[in-house]
Amino acid sequence: MTLLNLAVVVKLEPDLSAGSISYNPDGTLNRSKTKNTLGPHSKIAAQAAFYAKVKYGAKISVGTMSGHAANNALQIAMETCDADVLHLYNDSIFAGADTIGTAEVLKNGINKMDGKMDIVFSGYRATDGETGQVGPQLAWKLGFTFLGNVISYDIDLEKRTIIAKRLITLRGVPEIIQEIEAPLPVFIAIDPSYKYHFNNITLRLAAEKYKTEAHERAKNYKEYIQTFNCEELGADKTLVGLIGSPTIVYDVQRVPKGKAIRNAKVLDGSNPDHIRQVVTAMKEALSAMVIK
Amino acid sequence: MTEGDYRHVYVVIEHIDGKLLPVSLEMLGEARRLFDDFNKRYSAKEKVVAIVLGHNIQHLPKTLIEHGADSVVIVDRPELNALINKIHTKVICQICLDIETAAKIEPAYSLEFKKPRYMFFAADGIGRHLSSTVLAELDSGLASDVNQLIISDLDISHPIKTAGKKIIYKKTLEMYRVDFSGFLWTTILCLDNLNENLSVREYSPQSCNIIPGAFAPIQPDPQRDGTIINFEPKIDENDLKIKVLSQKFIESEIDFDNYKTVVGFGRGIQNAPEKNIKLVEEFAKHLNAQVGISLPISKNVFSASPNVSSTYMIPGRVIGTSGRKISPMLYIAVGISGAMQHIAGMEDSQFIISINEDENAPIKDVSDIFLKGKMEDVLPQLMAELKNQQIMMQVK
Repeated sequence: MTLLNLAVVVKLEPDLSAGSISYNPDGTLNRSKTKNTLGPHSKIAAQAAFYAKVKYGAKISVGTMSGHAANNALQIAMETCDADVLHLYNDSIFAGADTIGTAEVLKNGINKMDGKMDIVFSGYRATDGETGQVGPQLAWKLGFTFLGNVISYDIDLEKRTIIAKRLITLRGVPEIIQEIEAPLPVFIAIDPSYKYHFNNITLRLAAEKYKTEAHERAKNYKEYIQTFNCEELGADKTLVGLIGSPTIVYDVQRVPKGKAIRNAKVLDGSNPDHIRQVVTAMKEALSAMVIK
Repeated sequence: MTEGDYRHVYVVIEHIDGKLLPVSLEMLGEARRLFDDFNKRYSAKEKVVAIVLGHNIQHLPKTLIEHGADSVVIVDRPELNALINKIHTKVICQICLDIETAAKIEPAYSLEFKKPRYMFFAADGIGRHLSSTVLAELDSGLASDVNQLIISDLDISHPIKTAGKKIIYKKTLEMYRVDFSGFLWTTILCLDNLNENLSVREYSPQSCNIIPGAFAPIQPDPQRDGTIINFEPKIDENDLKIKVLSQKFIESEIDFDNYKTVVGFGRGIQNAPEKNIKLVEEFAKHLNAQVGISLPISKNVFSASPNVSSTYMIPGRVIGTSGRKISPMLYIAVGISGAMQHIAGMEDSQFIISINEDENAPIKDVSDIFLKGKMEDVLPQLMAELKNQQIMMQVK
């Protein structure tokens, strides 16, 4: 049986969990004091790739573009999906890239991986940048069919097709579940709600076996890392980093305080009489509805 | 670059089965306001162009023109009935690059036309992906989740774009977006590379996806005139192998619509997350209220037991531009400071009570009552008083 050839692109992000995150007094993120880790959505992308490895058999390569060593992220990604290959794209010229400049590096990285890819996975967006653009732009540059917000999928190995369910969230209408069939190769940006299920004992046993293997392999993850700079990737220097980025961040400012749109009555939480007033106001606010 | 190379604003319209999504008219409204001003300031005659793709949608152009479009490019084909990113991306790019279409929009510059000047998409489950792939193909810049737009001539000095020299970039679209903390507002620009030492490149269209609810539509005018252009796309046979097998609506994970009261909590739970979430839960039970959260809570900023985190720290409960927009009879914000993106999701509530230690928190400005105090102290007292007054509130 031909194994599936899978890639997962991941991102090192600020760790927003308790104990790791640090805020400035004004409520903004203190980046220098906040630790970095594998982004939570990148982790879900790795889990989605693991599903295919257990169910269909697959070779998995993980790639990341990072100015940092990104060791922590690559190790967690390897352990999550039992990756066989780890790629780090690191060059000072990559710094400051917008989404197009980033997608260009990742495209070159994926083309450096062994063989043609069947599926490339990414998270649906980074928790820090939050644009969600790199996945679809990378898909487009690779020429792959893009499937966004995928909540589950299965593959027909004979026909080389995928059937995926996608969640489409729009303002003003209920959420939509779309079931879509597409020939491989495809690019999947995985939805945050994705969870894999193995519905028989053979698959569950296989999953356990791979997890143990992944745990052991991840201890020596450094032996698996292949690092590429711009030249080694064969990337066009004018298409990456700041030079390859159409957009710039022109200005960052505090969100201006809007005009008070309601004139708040200020009450004191330690004053029992004020507490009574609040409860009375709640009652009135809700009874107004009944009168209507 | 000549005057005719890059012209107009193209707005990608969204609809479901021929029913326009509100964001479509909001984007058109903002495009109209920007271009009325643009044309006056620059003595120009550039157009607001709506692009609409689908099947059985011949009724849409009229509405789009009434809401501000000068031209509507419509592609009405059975292959476009389903939302398939690849096919829609290719058709939109064909429209953007088509000189015949440009000539129908504005005959004067048809020979020079290369690409649109600006392009707007919706920042939602369709537009986010579509804007990314379209701009990857058109090879230009995209800003996401934008909630303010200004067109101006900017004096720019940038190490890469201008080699440090001061250059005036005319007709530049300033695209404002709020960062994930909700406290910083970033201005994104899409600028040509004018640095001769590196590589000179022109980037058009300057593009963004726009948050639903950020802008208001204009009053529809049934007398407005506009051009309707039927576009015949080339659809790649290979792409038709991608098939939508089914598409169905589902109810949201968390129901906000059927509750009179919503209690939202935010970072104020930080001193004892688990305990405080349970306190909010109990408080909400007293009011028969649904529980919502601010965006940071959905990002596992605080640790809690798996049961509590999987129930409450989830994207489905987020109130704000990254989540749901709600308008209950009563909204109670507990330990929420009031970042812009949260306020956009709850300011339409009929009565708003906020509970916060910090009297300078922006949430105060959108509250009817601001109750100063720690949630740990205040909520038990409110519950005791509620019991006292024996209020029984029923679900709508």
